[in-house]
Amino acid sequence: MALQTKVTRNSGARLFLQSVIGRSYPRVIGTQRDLSWLFFDIFLPFLTMVGYVYIYRALKAPEEYIGFVVLGSAMTAYWINILWSMSSQLYWEKETGNLALYVMSPTPLMAILFGMASGGLFSTTIRALVILVVGNLLFQVSYTITSFWALFLVFVLTMVALYGMGMMLSSLFLLFNREAWHSANLLQAPVMLFSGFYFPVSAFNFWVAAAASIVPLTLGMDAIRQLVFPSTALLGFLSVKLELIILAILSVLFLAAAFLTLRRMERLAIKHGKITDRLD
Amino acid sequence: MSSAETTPNSEAKPGKLLTFRTSAWLGWMIESNWTDPFIFAIYSIIRPISTAAILIVMYLVIRGGDFGSADFVNLYIGNAFFILVGAAIQGVSFGILDDREHYRTLKYIYIAPVRVPVYLFGRSVASILVACFSVLITLGFGIIFLKMPIALAEVKWGLFAAAFVLGMAVMICLGLMLGSWTLIIKNNAWSLGESLGAGLLIFSGAVFPLSVLPVPLQWVGSALPISYWLTLIRRALVPGIGRAYPMYTNLSDQQLILILLGFTLVYAALAALIYKRFDFIARERGNIDMVSNY
Amino acid sequence: MFAVETEALGRIYKVKKTRKEAAHTLVALDNVNLSVNQGELFGLLGPNGAGKTTLIKVLTTLLAPSSGFAHVNGLDVARQPEEIRRQINMVSGGETSGYGLLTVRENLWMFTQFYGIPSRQANARIMELLKIVGLEDRANTKSSNLSTGLRQKMNIVRGFMTDPTVLFLDEPTLGLDVGAARDVRRFVRQWVDDDPTRTLLLTTHYMVEAEEMCDRVAIINQGKILACDTPQNLKQSLRSEGVYSLQVSALDEKDFEELKGIAGFRQGTLRQVESGAELELVLSDDSVLAGLLGFLTAKGSRITTLHKREASLEDVFISLVGKSMKDVENGAAD
Repeated sequence: MALQTKVTRNSGARLFLQSVIGRSYPRVIGTQRDLSWLFFDIFLPFLTMVGYVYIYRALKAPEEYIGFVVLGSAMTAYWINILWSMSSQLYWEKETGNLALYVMSPTPLMAILFGMASGGLFSTTIRALVILVVGNLLFQVSYTITSFWALFLVFVLTMVALYGMGMMLSSLFLLFNREAWHSANLLQAPVMLFSGFYFPVSAFNFWVAAAASIVPLTLGMDAIRQLVFPSTALLGFLSVKLELIILAILSVLFLAAAFLTLRRMERLAIKHGKITDRLD
Repeated sequence: MSSAETTPNSEAKPGKLLTFRTSAWLGWMIESNWTDPFIFAIYSIIRPISTAAILIVMYLVIRGGDFGSADFVNLYIGNAFFILVGAAIQGVSFGILDDREHYRTLKYIYIAPVRVPVYLFGRSVASILVACFSVLITLGFGIIFLKMPIALAEVKWGLFAAAFVLGMAVMICLGLMLGSWTLIIKNNAWSLGESLGAGLLIFSGAVFPLSVLPVPLQWVGSALPISYWLTLIRRALVPGIGRAYPMYTNLSDQQLILILLGFTLVYAALAALIYKRFDFIARERGNIDMVSNY
Repeated sequence: MFAVETEALGRIYKVKKTRKEAAHTLVALDNVNLSVNQGELFGLLGPNGAGKTTLIKVLTTLLAPSSGFAHVNGLDVARQPEEIRRQINMVSGGETSGYGLLTVRENLWMFTQFYGIPSRQANARIMELLKIVGLEDRANTKSSNLSTGLRQKMNIVRGFMTDPTVLFLDEPTLGLDVGAARDVRRFVRQWVDDDPTRTLLLTTHYMVEAEEMCDRVAIINQGKILACDTPQNLKQSLRSEGVYSLQVSALDEKDFEELKGIAGFRQGTLRQVESGAELELVLSDDSVLAGLLGFLTAKGSRITTLHKREASLEDVFISLVGKSMKDVENGAAD
């Protein structure tokens, strides 16, 4: 019964890359295998978007504000993904027993987190695009893109910083020793408020907006609004250039923090037996 | 064990009241988080206040303030009381999922000599009670920080009580309809009640009058009891301002109450029919003791 | 060099204060000294809660020791976890790892990627192993649709597919039916026999599993290793003693306690059954039997069957702990 197939093992960067692809696979494949997301992640956020659009219509707001809502609703998909599928994910993985297997494997946990993030980013982008396209068709939002490359750079940096934050939170959620469900709920609504998903963040005073900028979506959305609705540029919180610089700094900071908290989490979890939490 | 000893008639069925009381107590134990201030704060304070604050800022950026205006007060009250819609609708479906997937006790409830709808009704009452605190906190926030003109002396308490009870009854019927559907849904239905509740916001006239909507959507709103209920709540809480809200201005309070009563009866009958149908399908498919894999 | 070696290994858990309990510590492993040779199939036998899983967690780098040392292939679990992880794998009974929406093959492939195995080799290895455990026709079934037994077979494949030099199996046959458990045992034994550089450490609370499969067995209870030897030698330690199974018409706990006072009584258990009571007794030698029978007769207890039998690992456990494993798990009083 000796095994006929021999296996070799890669290490270093190749192992890291393989692990990223391996862990992103369930997220990518899940998009086509479990179609319930079409209802829960598209139809229901769409209804919420419609609600906010009609509030602005009732208040007789300028048409750009309808665009803010459509854009904000598309970006909501990323925030929900960060909370429920990134930040809470290591906790769920612990509950199912996967975390122990990840820790025990030779791959660095950072590769697993990168895999979750890239898979999540892919599937969420599909959701966000659907919401954006449907919203635009329904409410006829008109965009004037002033600089495609600036827009592209803003989006990329926002996503790197945001998913970096998600990776950091996933370790913190595990360390909090609270059920991840509650921690995600704690953050969901306040960030929807302070990051300005449905209105320009400049509506708050400077210090509140500055504090809210710790969540990369705040500056990301503010810059995107300035770049696609130039007529509302005056409502911008900071200049796009400055926002790009801050987003770049946030990207580095969050990725570094993710790396450090992950290492600390792993060390503490091994010390206190929190990876499996079961006594025997 | 003792129940068998104290109840000689082994076929005795617990009364509906007992079933209701027990399930309401059970729901309360599960839903209320008084012992954990952290969790209480999340669900009863932070979430509702944040949602209300989004509306406050939206109003602020367009209208530049004036929180005492009829437009804002009506919007704010509509939003605050809409929390109850989500809770009532969520209550039943969440109870079914929680019992089936988490505690895995739904099958035991089914084989016990109790009426399942009464049990589910009891469980949803707890989530409504918890939501009531969120409503109170949201209203309190508006009165204290936004100086909203809600004066207790001017409230029409009789109208408020009648509208509240009828509204909750009809909402629970709606919840039972959704819950019946939950009986046959496999995955991902945890947020169904809450999300569908959020979807109903559009058709409820809670945060904007139905007249803003395209005409076919206005018809949907008129076929749902929520818009009548919220209109009554506004007229009871802030009589002058509530009257100014551009919905059902040609209908008197009494007429609205009668409409709501009619809705309650129709929805109760519908809920009973729908429950019966889905309950049959669920048992036929073997869904009662199902545990979904995620 | 030993494949696994522990030296005065200890692990305690700090239990936080709750409303019902004061803060306290729980000793999960207490001064554990163990050496497992390369090429050995080594068993850890003990009741639930004995510390078996804790020991596996320490050895698989998931849990840090509180005191002492543990080495796998000469590497320190506390200081060189990364190096150890390249050489090991673990399978637990009843685990629900992987993702329900992925198929069996996809789940297994995903795990091979965390070990750096190129996809082509991984897929070939997966199919070969699936065939061996009789799961090849389920390769494309979503893992959420597998029964407990089939899922465990998938887990077993996950453990073997990465070619570990040291493999840890924690109750691998938990929840499997008799046939599937037998297949798994046979495969595990064969895997070790095929290559002398492979080592397998298995925990179980099934006596038969330990007796049938293991080269050596350590008996563990309350975090302590009580004995460690080949199953044969462990049983031989009771050779001079007499091991008896008796069925009697009736015997209550009080009389059994009195029976324990008979000179030459070593250890024993009493179990009430429908037809009376069953006794498993270890006596210092056969001559004690006469006094024992006299005692039972005096108590009015009629003997229905009596036979002297070969000692089993269960008897060894009873002679070491004073209770059967089942009694320990049920928390029977001393």
